[in-house]
Amino acid sequence: MKNLKPLNQKAERVVKAAETDKMDEVRAMQTIVAGCASTLDPGWEVDPFGGVAALCQPMEADLYGCSDPCWWPAQVPDTINSYPDWNANADGAPADWRNLGTVFPSDSET
Amino acid sequence: MMKRLRKGHIAGLAGVLLLMSTPAQAQDGATLLAENCSGCHAADDSGALSRIKHQRKTPEGWLMTIVRMRLFHGMELEPGVQSELVHYLADTQGLAPSEAEDFRYILERRPNVVEAPEAPLAEMCARCHSAARVALQRRTKDEWNMHIDFHVGQWPTLEYQALARDREWLKIAREEVVPLLAEKYPFETDAWTAWEKADKPSATGSWVFTTSLPAKGEAYGALEVSGDTQPYSVSGTLKTASGDELAVSGKLNVYTGYEWRANLTIGDTAYRQVLAISEDGASLSGRQFLHAEDSLGGAFKAVKVGGKPAIAGVVPSTLPAGASGTVQVVGTGLGSVALTGALDASGGTVNAYGAAVDVSPAAGTDGAISVTSSDATADDALAVYSHIDSLKVEPAFAVARVGGGGGSAGKVPARFDAVGYWNGADGQPGTDDDVRIGVVPASWSVAPFNEEAEALKDVEFAGKMDESLGIFMPAVAGPNPKRPFSTNNAGNLKVLAKSGDASGEGQLIVTVQRWNDPPIR
Repeated sequence: MKNLKPLNQKAERVVKAAETDKMDEVRAMQTIVAGCASTLDPGWEVDPFGGVAALCQPMEADLYGCSDPCWWPAQVPDTINSYPDWNANADGAPADWRNLGTVFPSDSET
Repeated sequence: MMKRLRKGHIAGLAGVLLLMSTPAQAQDGATLLAENCSGCHAADDSGALSRIKHQRKTPEGWLMTIVRMRLFHGMELEPGVQSELVHYLADTQGLAPSEAEDFRYILERRPNVVEAPEAPLAEMCARCHSAARVALQRRTKDEWNMHIDFHVGQWPTLEYQALARDREWLKIAREEVVPLLAEKYPFETDAWTAWEKADKPSATGSWVFTTSLPAKGEAYGALEVSGDTQPYSVSGTLKTASGDELAVSGKLNVYTGYEWRANLTIGDTAYRQVLAISEDGASLSGRQFLHAEDSLGGAFKAVKVGGKPAIAGVVPSTLPAGASGTVQVVGTGLGSVALTGALDASGGTVNAYGAAVDVSPAAGTDGAISVTSSDATADDALAVYSHIDSLKVEPAFAVARVGGGGGSAGKVPARFDAVGYWNGADGQPGTDDDVRIGVVPASWSVAPFNEEAEALKDVEFAGKMDESLGIFMPAVAGPNPKRPFSTNNAGNLKVLAKSGDASGEGQLIVTVQRWNDPPIR
């Protein structure tokens, strides 16, 4: 590890794990157990175990991985076709998520 | 448009802009449709516009279609025209009451409904959105086929969600799903043909109702609907079981002859009603919820004043034994009230909401009570209890969402009821013969649902449960640097209710916000 410099929280934890002989406990892409659900099984809201600990979190870290390929188009506006400018004012979702709008227009109600 | 949407403060604006008066020179709906839609939708020899003519939908379904034309295809509409078009399309190409009946939960924005769609629609449609969104549409077979084309064109990566890596999804869509949809949800039905010809019920006049408010509990009141053109004016009074009296005012749209959509101010709070008028025009039912937080609301039932004697409900619906109280029977054409069952009494005073009767159930009284007045009866409308054997949390499974914090999506709270039960003849709680008492006061708390929730301190971060109201207010949206990997304030919680010696448990998922939240999810 001496030639590699950690750039984020997870990388720092990997370095610490290596230093304390805990590499067996390192898993990719997770808060606790598993990574992103590969399809809508289970979904945007709930992880494969019926909880939330194994969702991709913080959600903002991978939000554009959801919106660019319209992965969850019913919950996250897709920028591939439907809302191409949705994130025009939010270069990075973790810092700029407040600039992302809810897309159904407020002037429209039955 | 996008700039405005991105700022999107939905709740405030919607209340103002909703239900705008129709344009001074209101045009015929067919003319408006031709003028605004025929630029893209070609007319056939009969003048019918392509795609539009062979679909039927709810008012919300048509609204979503028109909004999609605006946002995705740049259609521009004069102010007020969108509302006119939704009225025209929902009136002429809507759903009959019987066609919408089983799926009203999605229109009513009822939280925590767990659908159980069957194959192949479960895999093909309901992995992304509710199955009800499909079931509230009627199309010809050609139209259902084009609906597949539209999905592929608009959301090309849907093949992953359609399980394309494991099966020939498009073949299944064409050869199994389209014929099934055309059979289950066909464009032409006897129900719609009959409803088109039927005399439609009138919304105007006087109604008396029962409902419950998120923080104030059971309530009843009266509404007066007036006006010659839509939106109608609504005024009235709401009284809570604890004696508060609140003024009601607002506006009402009616679509397809029975779909009641009102925005009301009750006291100083904005509410929305999504109701259906019964085909005979005598009653009204659905859900009323906070305009700003649609997860908080309650069932709403009303009867039309002046019809046959009828009871909408009884407030309160549960009464502790050994205390005296007034029971308000809400209805029309009522006179002296007779209570039978665990408590036998008669008498009462007729008032503007029906009739009220004072009761003093003796200590130790337990059981259901039926209410009769004039020719109207409500079976087991009231329960008196001296003890509770067991407690159930309803809903048993709920979802809340983080929100706020400067973002566009508000917090989505969750609300729970504690429902008391008596053991049945077997003397055991939790068996089929248990007898439901009704909603009873309880004290509320949350706990980690499992080890992960405990390790991540979900109770500390995910939000706060109101101890007496059973309303969970989730925490703020956004990454939280105080949590591992700055994870969101999501959580997996047990919801615990306690009433006397009885306790109950449910589960609450606190999850992330949705950025796409149309009227039909």
